[in-house]
Amino acid sequence: MAAMLKPPGNFSVTPHKVSVCILLQIYAPPAQITLPFPFPFSSVVQHNRLGMFLLALTKSCDDIFEPKLDELITQLREIGGELDHWLSDHLTCRLSSLSSPDDLFNFFSDLRGILAGPDSGVVVDDQIILDSNSNLGVFLRRCILAFNLLSFEGVCHLLTNIGTYCKEALSSCPAYELPHLDDSSNEVEALLVYENMDLENFVFDKVTEETEARKMASERVSFHIHAPKALFGLIEDIEVSAELKFKHREKTGEASSFAHHMKDTLRGIDPNGGIFLRTNWQIQGYLCEQADAIEKHSSSVPLNAFESILRQLQKLAPELHRVHFLRYLNNLYHNDYPASLENLHCYFDYSAGAEGFDFVQPTSSASNGFGRYEIALLCLGMMHFHFGHPKQALEVLTEAVRVSQQQSNDTCLAYTLAAICNLLSAIGISSTTEILGSSYGPVTSIGTSLSIQQQLFVLLRRSLKRADGLKLKRLVASNRLAMAKFDLTHVQRPLLSFGPKASMKLKTCPVNVCKELRLSSHLISEFSTESSIMITDGVFSTAWLKNLQKPMGSLVLSLENASGANSNAFHFCAQPNSIPGSVLQLLGSSYLLRATAWEIYGSAPLARINALVYTTCFGNASSSADVALAYTKLIQHLAVFKGHREAFAALKLVEEKFCSISKSQILLLKLQLLHERALHLGHLKLAQQVCDELGVLASSVTGVDMELKTEASLRHARTLLAANQFGQAAAVAHSLFCMCYKFNLQVENATVLLLLAEIHKKSGNAVLGLPYALASLSFCQSFNLDLLKASATLTLAELWLSLGSNHAERASILVQGALPMILGHGGLELRSRAYIAEAKCYLSNPSFSVFENSEVVLDPLRQATEELEILEYHELAAEAFYLMAMVFDKLGQLEEREEAAASFMKHIKALENPQNEQDPLFNIH
Amino acid sequence: MSSKESCRNELRTAICQLSDRCLYSAAKWAAEQLVGIEQDPAKFTPSHTRFQLGSSSIRRRFRTNEIASTPTAGVSSVSTPVLEEDEAIDGDFYLLAKSYFDCREYRRAAHVLRDQTGKKAVFLRCYALYLAGEKRKEEEMIELEGPLGKSDAVNHELVYLERELSMLCKNGTVDPFGLYLYGLVLNKKGSENIARTVLVESVNSYPWNWNAWTELQSLCTTIDILNSLNLNYHWMKDFFLANAYQELRMHNESLGKYEYLQGTFSFSNYIQAQIAKAQYSLREFEQVEVIFEELLRNDPYRVEDMDMYSNVLYAKECFSTLSYLAHRVFLTDKYRPESCFIIGNYYSLKGQHEKSVVYFRRALKLNKNYLSAWTLMGHEYVEMKNTPAAVDAYRRAVDINPCDYRAWYGLGQAYEMMGMPYYALHYFRKSVFLQPNDSRLWIAMGQCYETDQLQMLEDAIKCYKRAANCNDTEAIALHQIAKLSKDLKRSEEAAFYYKKDLERMEAEEREGPNLVEALLFLATYYKSQKRFEEAEIYCTRLLDYTGPEKETAKSLLRGMRKAQSGFSSIDIEHLPP
Repeated sequence: MAAMLKPPGNFSVTPHKVSVCILLQIYAPPAQITLPFPFPFSSVVQHNRLGMFLLALTKSCDDIFEPKLDELITQLREIGGELDHWLSDHLTCRLSSLSSPDDLFNFFSDLRGILAGPDSGVVVDDQIILDSNSNLGVFLRRCILAFNLLSFEGVCHLLTNIGTYCKEALSSCPAYELPHLDDSSNEVEALLVYENMDLENFVFDKVTEETEARKMASERVSFHIHAPKALFGLIEDIEVSAELKFKHREKTGEASSFAHHMKDTLRGIDPNGGIFLRTNWQIQGYLCEQADAIEKHSSSVPLNAFESILRQLQKLAPELHRVHFLRYLNNLYHNDYPASLENLHCYFDYSAGAEGFDFVQPTSSASNGFGRYEIALLCLGMMHFHFGHPKQALEVLTEAVRVSQQQSNDTCLAYTLAAICNLLSAIGISSTTEILGSSYGPVTSIGTSLSIQQQLFVLLRRSLKRADGLKLKRLVASNRLAMAKFDLTHVQRPLLSFGPKASMKLKTCPVNVCKELRLSSHLISEFSTESSIMITDGVFSTAWLKNLQKPMGSLVLSLENASGANSNAFHFCAQPNSIPGSVLQLLGSSYLLRATAWEIYGSAPLARINALVYTTCFGNASSSADVALAYTKLIQHLAVFKGHREAFAALKLVEEKFCSISKSQILLLKLQLLHERALHLGHLKLAQQVCDELGVLASSVTGVDMELKTEASLRHARTLLAANQFGQAAAVAHSLFCMCYKFNLQVENATVLLLLAEIHKKSGNAVLGLPYALASLSFCQSFNLDLLKASATLTLAELWLSLGSNHAERASILVQGALPMILGHGGLELRSRAYIAEAKCYLSNPSFSVFENSEVVLDPLRQATEELEILEYHELAAEAFYLMAMVFDKLGQLEEREEAAASFMKHIKALENPQNEQDPLFNIH
Repeated sequence: MSSKESCRNELRTAICQLSDRCLYSAAKWAAEQLVGIEQDPAKFTPSHTRFQLGSSSIRRRFRTNEIASTPTAGVSSVSTPVLEEDEAIDGDFYLLAKSYFDCREYRRAAHVLRDQTGKKAVFLRCYALYLAGEKRKEEEMIELEGPLGKSDAVNHELVYLERELSMLCKNGTVDPFGLYLYGLVLNKKGSENIARTVLVESVNSYPWNWNAWTELQSLCTTIDILNSLNLNYHWMKDFFLANAYQELRMHNESLGKYEYLQGTFSFSNYIQAQIAKAQYSLREFEQVEVIFEELLRNDPYRVEDMDMYSNVLYAKECFSTLSYLAHRVFLTDKYRPESCFIIGNYYSLKGQHEKSVVYFRRALKLNKNYLSAWTLMGHEYVEMKNTPAAVDAYRRAVDINPCDYRAWYGLGQAYEMMGMPYYALHYFRKSVFLQPNDSRLWIAMGQCYETDQLQMLEDAIKCYKRAANCNDTEAIALHQIAKLSKDLKRSEEAAFYYKKDLERMEAEEREGPNLVEALLFLATYYKSQKRFEEAEIYCTRLLDYTGPEKETAKSLLRGMRKAQSGFSSIDIEHLPP
């Protein structure tokens, strides 16, 4: 390669280290002293406290940031108690007394005195001598060694650095500054004037340059996507608001550790602040950390600020190519396509994929002199995937498979296969043939006759096997997760004549999915085998040092008032732990998946618990999109069980939390909630409007995932149904069913069939509805969709009921059968529907007499009305009150009858004039 | 342009002033132009004639559009530079400082002038400080070079200099030279806009400082910036514009300017070399070679720009000339990046790629930003099948100048070699974007689309069509379009392009398998279209060739005869072979 790296210098003497050495000298003075603690200290405790502090300092010396002198002095104040002045004065005195190279030489040779010699047997009891093998001793020896290795030039540079290090600290505290400048104040003032003037110019200049650059950037973008100018204005607005938010958070003291971090970073690399070049490992570690941060919190990292840091780093260390990768990541998560493409190519051109990008030791493949460009392809593929170019992504990944096969880089191959699986499962394409054309690839080689789901399955199996064979624990885990996800939504045998026999064992049962999941969580105990070399424990020590001063900040934003979770119990996760973030992330996603599994199977409490566990324990470790998803699940749960008011209150909180992050997940939730509520209130115009917005989100580009598409048309059909346009609703539902069938979305199939049954029920065509309900039922059975099955049974019962009173008995049996499930796990709406159906069954049964057993009817009706009031579901509530009034009328209880009738009136009126309602919740919209 | 005599006078004074201020490279440049002015025939001496004799022949050969002997007189804002004399007392210190400066003891020179207030003294003091800082910076760069490459070494004098010079600026006690230095400092600091204004002011009031012009030129990265400069007219501006156009890859405009300047400075080696550079960019190798031969005859110890000459010799595969050139520059100055570059080129031509890499490396060690050395080293690595190293070298070239289409092309090729054609496309796209009129680039991209792995034939055809439109000298494009159309079963298109290709081959009197293939396709095509007459013509032409095609042609002819007349069965064997 054109410019080889020098062997990384792991340890270099910096002014900060000199300070630590001075403190060490105070801690263990070479002179013989009779007291149990040396001179300045007044107690053993005090002495030990300094010792602890020094231990932490020496550990954190491997970290990227070294504190400046004034910071060190503040830290000393925390520790030193009444000694602080003496300690800091002594430190500054010693530092400023180092004025010639010879002073430094003497200083370091003196240091040798406080180390115990090899013959440490002759240690006198009352002398404090550092054991040369202790932590402090080793640190000292490293410092001395590093100093001895310095050339004379190096010593000179150290001396100048110490000078700037002291000067900064002095200039920051005015007490020292004034006496120095008194005699020459006039001159200084004059100078200052010029400096200020210049500064202004300079700043102005910078600003104009930046705006120019921005303009250029936006022009370039507009050339690419032909977006109207107004959109850019919007984008800028958003940026500004995000920034403000960032500041605001800092101010309120709610600042996450992350905000702290950014601030530190900015200062750490500040060019005017006297930079001391860090070691290779330190910077690599810092970059790793930042990469994690970007991936986790994506857009809360300010694009330009971080970019400028990276640019500076690049200037300082042009051979450190990882910086390009960070720039790529930064641009990627800020959706800057051209820049991220450019940086990605740049990174791989320079590093050939061999610069510690992949933690698995590249012993065999890197040595063949080819480089590992297949990783470049993998990354490029993922990038296209991120930007929603499935076609290019597939092309690139296919090439990646080919190249990694050629290079026999099995690791990369396994990852690539996993990426392809991801791609295939996320985008809605019915067959890969049209995308890939005639080109050879792993996807087409399986055989074009298979459906995409089958191809996906085969691929998943393959990549799982490969990862297992290669002992890539993390990949195995994530593959298992993918497998479980696949199992959740797909039956592995094609359905023969509407559903297989009940006896057939399907992998979709929750136990199976959980088994897969558990396999993946073995990971946490095994991660150490491939733990990364990059993580130094210096990072943790720095965190510890910071925690000295500030109270432990709770990082989990509590949702107490909304969900009742007690966030205080989870402090432990705010503490630094040694589990790599990626492992935590995987583990967290297994919980998320578990929540989804239970949601589908219909166990609401379990789903809620899993989501809660996720948000509380893994909220820090995982990407913001995942966290948003978990919150979404919790809020949906709230909406179903506690009504919309609570849900909206919670939504407001969550929106604040995720304000700076891409809101698609949250936006979707909001639209869903609004739509639901509009339907309940009979506010059809609004419902239609919300539906249209959903449709925009799911516009028919191949990149949009299928879930969103089905969701949009499902809601469309339901809006039409509410507007009593049965024909159109049926048509929409029908086409939706066709789509689901085409893409093998079997879980959605069951839902759509149920919807069709509902449509026919409402249109008074019960006979037509029956087969749909039955079909849905059999789907539910085969997928173990218990809750959906219960609701299908309910619909079936309602259908039977509408066929006449002679079917009431049958309906009653059905309702009774479904009740346990519904009461245990169902939401408010489902439960009240069941209650009403139950009452209706009794009422329409000719052998039932109201006079004998009125409570059997009245009790469920009362329950139903209570729950419907919470839900504000006018239509059903009116029905329940109507039934109640009728019953009371029969019983001759006139007062109660009037009451029920009045409530009926109220709901009917509300349903008829939805516009009258001045609802504050709609203002959110 | 002002008359030759006035130019000469201006330059003469300027040289004195520039070297008095120790701006030696500017003085050198001015002196070169001074002797480049055509002598008055009335005054010239025999020695002059000898010196200028060689140059005139080339002028006669290549200047077809002779510019009118009396150039149009533009209005110069500044006429002859005025020499202002500093006070005599200061003069002594100045002399001492200048001699220190000449011995490269910059700090000493600055120290001597510490209390002087004359403009000249102030300038020299600041300039000496600047150079001292630069020297220290270079040293520190090596001392501090960390494991990650470049260190953060900076010129420590910049802050002081900026403060000092801005103060002088505000007081209005700054001369054009001080402004030049101020611009230099500002540019180093990164405030380019102010630097540009300051430099414009400097060259407007003193146009003969070529250093200031080049500094200004480095700040003109786009044509818009260049046009927005508020420059007064002076003949030096033409030099500047010509140079700037060249850097902005507007070669024809640049060439025009230089040819115009040759009207006055007809014997300037500088202008000749610059013309050669422009011609080289336009790929007119023959002319470049002639120019360089002349240049070397006049100025045998010249090393500047000789790297380009070696490129031309490389392209023309002149082994001995190249080795002669390499030997000559080696003896002149071994440790010039250009010398190493030329030797590297020679070894590359000889096929000794390892040695050639050694010399390119040396050139790069001497000048890290030597663009073409990076690119050529990339080529060498490609030859040595060391693709990662090649990619690295090309990438460095691209990072130095993102407009270097050769390096982008090299990157594409390297990735294609590694079996990553889709990845390579990105780079080919870049290179054709920068040089859309180069057919070779389009052909390379087309071939990339055509690879077994991609098989994106539609896109390949598009590329070849572009190539065919920009004067494809090797005539690959037409043939490829025809072949691909045939493969895609678009026989009509295929026939069109085969015919075009055929016409072209006929015009250039080329033979070969491509010709046979074209004939065969056209024959079958016209036969299937029932246009027997044309088909027959092609068939008969095919009969001139040996091989299986001849037999095919015969059977084709036979078939056609049969189809034309059911009864007649004239034997083909009777036809003349």
